[in-house]
Amino acid sequence: MLELKHDLRLAKTRDEHARMNFVSGLRAYVLNDMATGMRASYDAEVEPAFRRKARRAPKDGPEVHQAIRSNEFFKFYSSLRVTAQDMVWQSVFPPLERQRESLKKKAKALATRRPGKLKLDAQLEVPRSVSALDVHLMPGNYDGEYESEDLAAGSLYDNGLAVFSFGLMGQNLDDIGESISRFIKARYPKFKPAEILDLGCTIGHNTGSWKDTYPSAHVRGIDVAAPCLRYAHARAQAQNRAVDFEQMNATALKYVDASFDVVFSSMFLHEVPRKDIAKVLAEAYRVLKPGGLMLHMELPPNAQLSPYDAFYLDWDSSYNNEPYYKPFRDLVPQRLCRQAGFKSTNYVQFVVPSIAWFGEQAVTRAVAAQGAVDSDKTGRLSDGLQWYCFGAWK
Amino acid sequence: MTSKDKQPMRRNIRGGRPYFFADPATDKVLNMVVTLASEVWALRERVMAMEAIGAKRGAFKAGEVDAYEFPPALEQRMAGERQEFIANLFRVLGEQAEPKKTATAKKPAKKKKR
Repeated sequence: MLELKHDLRLAKTRDEHARMNFVSGLRAYVLNDMATGMRASYDAEVEPAFRRKARRAPKDGPEVHQAIRSNEFFKFYSSLRVTAQDMVWQSVFPPLERQRESLKKKAKALATRRPGKLKLDAQLEVPRSVSALDVHLMPGNYDGEYESEDLAAGSLYDNGLAVFSFGLMGQNLDDIGESISRFIKARYPKFKPAEILDLGCTIGHNTGSWKDTYPSAHVRGIDVAAPCLRYAHARAQAQNRAVDFEQMNATALKYVDASFDVVFSSMFLHEVPRKDIAKVLAEAYRVLKPGGLMLHMELPPNAQLSPYDAFYLDWDSSYNNEPYYKPFRDLVPQRLCRQAGFKSTNYVQFVVPSIAWFGEQAVTRAVAAQGAVDSDKTGRLSDGLQWYCFGAWK
Repeated sequence: MTSKDKQPMRRNIRGGRPYFFADPATDKVLNMVVTLASEVWALRERVMAMEAIGAKRGAFKAGEVDAYEFPPALEQRMAGERQEFIANLFRVLGEQAEPKKTATAKKPAKKKKR
């Protein structure tokens, strides 16, 4: 399993470490080997049975899902994946519970170290889509607080993500931010953003990469969950990154019009109820300067995937407490951007190779050869992954 | 820093976890098996750590454990314990080994292509 590199990482006993290694390995097996096996089982049994009955192939993800539900391989894949997901968080609780006090002390000491600022808003109402749900089956979710000044939820997420990602999200879990910001810099060498905003940033793991890519920029991350922001602030300080974090809802930004050159988000829109997605994009449009770029890293839309791959990604929506994930992926990004006020001709969409997997050169190559969504690799956490993003220039 | 209000973190999933088999007990047993496997792995890592530390300190040479052959008396004792271990592992099946009626025999399932 991946070792966190910063000072807030939890100390683990030999056995705790071994359990985390096991869960990482189990996830790699389920998401690579078993996913391949399930596809083979689908091709050999499920799809032909569907064709015999319906005299056609399944037309979309939900039809594939319905057809595969009774398949034994699907049941083992799914049950093991849920078990592994549960074990990710369970593997972190014992060392975290033991170190909550020392973690708080470390964070407090780090708070004054660098110029990064933290601004919380005790009056902010955490939306029900966060406060009423354990997304990713993570007990307590992003906003769970168990004492004053709590940041344990942030530590649970950071250390859990290290187990969860089995190395596929980069050495500092910042592969998305790193790959995409480097790609933008290579693709638009004349674009020099001075103000960058990351929406729904949680622990800021993908916010800091923008500071690395554009060192002179003022980089800010916002989220509704205070424990994650406290942790994000301390984490950035520990990594010597001058990034500001503010507690704010992306549907109602407190910034004046035309404040930012880049409004970014990663894996965020699919956690937002449909009715609020339009508000988030409209707010992004409002706070962008003319000539600024809105960019959302997301799972690819269903319309750009084969029925099987649509089903495969939608698994999370049905079984990983992600109720807004499929509704988001059923939307058409071009239309969303247009409705938010962006010109159709200013729409952009990229498939960016993961730096952690392919190396830095691959990003430069991708700029030259811009490809379409590779149906079974894009956005899927398995070997050879690529990140999908869409947005528009204002 | 006050910790008067400190609560233990909640460890259960709100709304529970999804189940996939006809009987949720199957999912639960699978969870138990995997948890057990995780503990077995933790033990293996521990043994490997002990072997490495032992080799480093000169308690034995690297590879000595792998090359080690048990003396006949110990081998015999272990063989007995191994069979007990196996019998214990499949005890749950043994309970159903003598049904009054013959259980409905199923044709072996077609081998899945991988």
